[in-house]
Amino acid sequence: MILNRYLTLFIFFLSNVIYGQELKKENIDSLQTNQLEEVVITATRTEKKVSSVPLPILVITADDIAKTGTARLNEILAEQTGLLLTPSFGGGEGIQIQGLDAAYTLILIDGVPLVGRSAGTLDLSRISVGNIERIEVVKGASSSLYGSDALAGVINIITKKTQKDKFSGDFAYRQASFDTKDASLNLDWKKRKLTTSIFGNYFSTSGYNLDKNAILPTVEPYSNMTINPKIYYDFSENLKLFISTRFYKQKQDNRSIILGENYQGISTIQEWNAQTKLTQKWNEKITSEYEIYATNYKADEFLNNRYDQLFEQNYYNQWLFRPEIRTHFSIQKSKLTTGIGLNYETLDRTYFGNQVIFNAQYMFAQYDWTLNSKVNMIIGFRYDNHTQYKSQLSPKISLNYKINDYFAFKTSLGYGFKAPDFRQLYFDFTNSAVGYTVLGYNIAQNRLRELEAQGQIVRRNSNIDFSNALKPESSLNFNMGISFQKDKVKIELNTFYNAISNLIDTKVIAQKVSGQNVFSYFNIDKIFTYGLELNTTYLISNGLKLSFGYQYLIAKDNSVLQEIEEGKIFARNPQTLQSFKIKNEDYFGLFNRSRHTANIKIFYQIPKINTDVNLRVFYRSKYGLFDTNNNQILDNYDIFVKSYFLTNLYLSKTIKKKYTIQTGANNIFNFTNPAEISNISGRLIFLKLQIIF
Amino acid sequence: MFKLSFFKYSILALVVLFSACTKKETAPEPVSALEIKTFSNLSAPQTGGNGQPTGGVFTRFSFSENAVVTNNNWDIAFRGTTILVNGGTQIGITDEPTRTGNAGVSIVSGTLESVTSIPNASTFVQDATAIYAIPTGSNNGWYNYNATTNIISPIAGKVFVVKTYNGKYAKFEILSYYQNAPTTPSASSVSKYYTLRFVYQPNSNTSF
Repeated sequence: MILNRYLTLFIFFLSNVIYGQELKKENIDSLQTNQLEEVVITATRTEKKVSSVPLPILVITADDIAKTGTARLNEILAEQTGLLLTPSFGGGEGIQIQGLDAAYTLILIDGVPLVGRSAGTLDLSRISVGNIERIEVVKGASSSLYGSDALAGVINIITKKTQKDKFSGDFAYRQASFDTKDASLNLDWKKRKLTTSIFGNYFSTSGYNLDKNAILPTVEPYSNMTINPKIYYDFSENLKLFISTRFYKQKQDNRSIILGENYQGISTIQEWNAQTKLTQKWNEKITSEYEIYATNYKADEFLNNRYDQLFEQNYYNQWLFRPEIRTHFSIQKSKLTTGIGLNYETLDRTYFGNQVIFNAQYMFAQYDWTLNSKVNMIIGFRYDNHTQYKSQLSPKISLNYKINDYFAFKTSLGYGFKAPDFRQLYFDFTNSAVGYTVLGYNIAQNRLRELEAQGQIVRRNSNIDFSNALKPESSLNFNMGISFQKDKVKIELNTFYNAISNLIDTKVIAQKVSGQNVFSYFNIDKIFTYGLELNTTYLISNGLKLSFGYQYLIAKDNSVLQEIEEGKIFARNPQTLQSFKIKNEDYFGLFNRSRHTANIKIFYQIPKINTDVNLRVFYRSKYGLFDTNNNQILDNYDIFVKSYFLTNLYLSKTIKKKYTIQTGANNIFNFTNPAEISNISGRLIFLKLQIIF
Repeated sequence: MFKLSFFKYSILALVVLFSACTKKETAPEPVSALEIKTFSNLSAPQTGGNGQPTGGVFTRFSFSENAVVTNNNWDIAFRGTTILVNGGTQIGITDEPTRTGNAGVSIVSGTLESVTSIPNASTFVQDATAIYAIPTGSNNGWYNYNATTNIISPIAGKVFVVKTYNGKYAKFEILSYYQNAPTTPSASSVSKYYTLRFVYQPNSNTSF
């Protein structure tokens, strides 16, 4: 095992460093970490006060999570303004930020990325909320720090670290509709320099079926388990070690009906993450972080026929190995952060000829410049050098201006990119039933020649050229907002604009003798999204908090606008059935985007009886899923998914500060739309018991 | 209530901001002296189908007569989703009528009204061995087939300019493939009933 060897070497190296250090007196002020103001790390990779971050950022605390009674990451994210959960292939849910698809958001746990996007999205229900300290969501392109995939934003899940110098923990059990069970256990032990913790979670559900007439349920039963042990060891105030590893295993029924025949099998996911981070404070001004991260994501599924013979088998096995060194220099009130690192990534999967290896090196630098008490500016860039695609330089500049005690102005301009994924470069897939073929860009040329030699190709399409490497999808992101905070009122308003170019899509490259097409991936589309996000909270009285969130969104395809301009797109008048030219205002935009999303939250705390009530109402305006009138675009004459409301209620009572009973219902009014919305299950009633010890 | 008024103004600002898009004036469609006619429920039955070989007599249509005809003075003919022109040679399908005229078709993108001139002669296609002047299949010629609902919908913006059997011109669009042209055809709608909207140019003009 190469990775193990690396780890061993690293630990060996570490021990040398450790013994070479002069152990300094432990800082007695370690409890002072309870800051008066919320601090985030995702935006700049250093701790920074939320109010001074010049980017649109959202922080969801453990307390926020607890007061919703949710169990999985997707559920809590779905309750936030501007984050939209959309169903993806295979029943998972991906996240839409600023109108951009789930493939464009980077998901991190304790600062390191999760992998395993077999079809572009990462299933967020994989992550239990049981040991989350807080979730930081940075909206807008963040490639200047995080490289590929951080195009729409970054979600960083920060796990809990106990501050209490003793043995402590908590146990929670949640039983919910659809036979859903969720059990979490946190055990923490801290003694001076050593902090250890282990988190375990078991989740199971019998899934649900929205269509009573369907033979196969909407979501098949599944269960999963998470184990996450962590060690923190402070060799001294100046040298701190953090080791974390996470195991995840999921098992789900896999059933299918193909040409009237029943097939049955199982699909499993196994994930492993291991992170080792050493923080070394050279002096008051310089701190270095050495981080080694390795992760493996493995998915296997099979289907057997009714005679229990193997019919179909798929596998997906991805490795990522990533060492990174970051150094922070304090220069008066400003801060310079630099980093270098490398990505070694492999993928072996069904429909790949061979295992594929990606190698990339990167460096980044960021200057967090405090000009005076009012103006803070962050300038940064990252350079990614990659073996498979064109190297990327991702700059970003942002500014925070405190107008007065109440108002602050924020703006940022940044570049984001998403590298072509393994599938877009190396896929070699022929549909056995229909006969079409999809070839990854890097192998298409040679495979096409082979198919030609075999006499399978009738003609090649002209204008198909593979001489230049496939370009990463890239974006220019602009945010500008203003915030207001005074006494009991907090208002944040942000406007955003994203221009994405070189979007990768399939295009026909040749026609087979069978009449079916051969596809490959190309940089085709340009899209843009813009809109506005508003978040307000108002503390009406002690214990009664009202908040309102709203997002307005427009997301469109430039080439469609061009075609409309040229009068090439038509629709039929629904009454007369006559064709007419689609006008600009008839074009609704991209699929699965709602113009308006909003939420209202009322939180009421009754201290006398230790009871909390949290009522949330969510609204999503109409959106289109398909082009129903066959003109290839979504226009006002298509059939839309109707707007809807969801209402979630949560009640909790704490007894003797140790025991909490929580109950509630998500989707109280049992809204479902079986034909069009697969990820809304209907009413879910839950009961959760928690013991803190 | 400071908060509420601030909120109201911000919403108002938004509304103003986003509704201030420019609206373009579109030129009015030219008005033609020629009459637009509609022919409803042209019955185009076929035998077979659903995997069986198709057959049956093609329903012949004449633009000048605005009628289904049985003689040789037809311009186009229908059977199921297949459309023939009275020009060129036999395609090679069962029960195919012999071509007696010199008809051809040119497929243009646009609304029926917007097509005012006769397209270039080189764009006119006639039937030939294994070649349909109006291609068959979903999304190839005149219609789209939805495999989920089994509904045939004519593709919007397809105008067929026909050179008639005797050298005149007509232009038509297909409004519906179902009896009485329902606005939203359903599984119970009766298929193989064409509704055509067309203009016939009786003179030797090169425009409509």
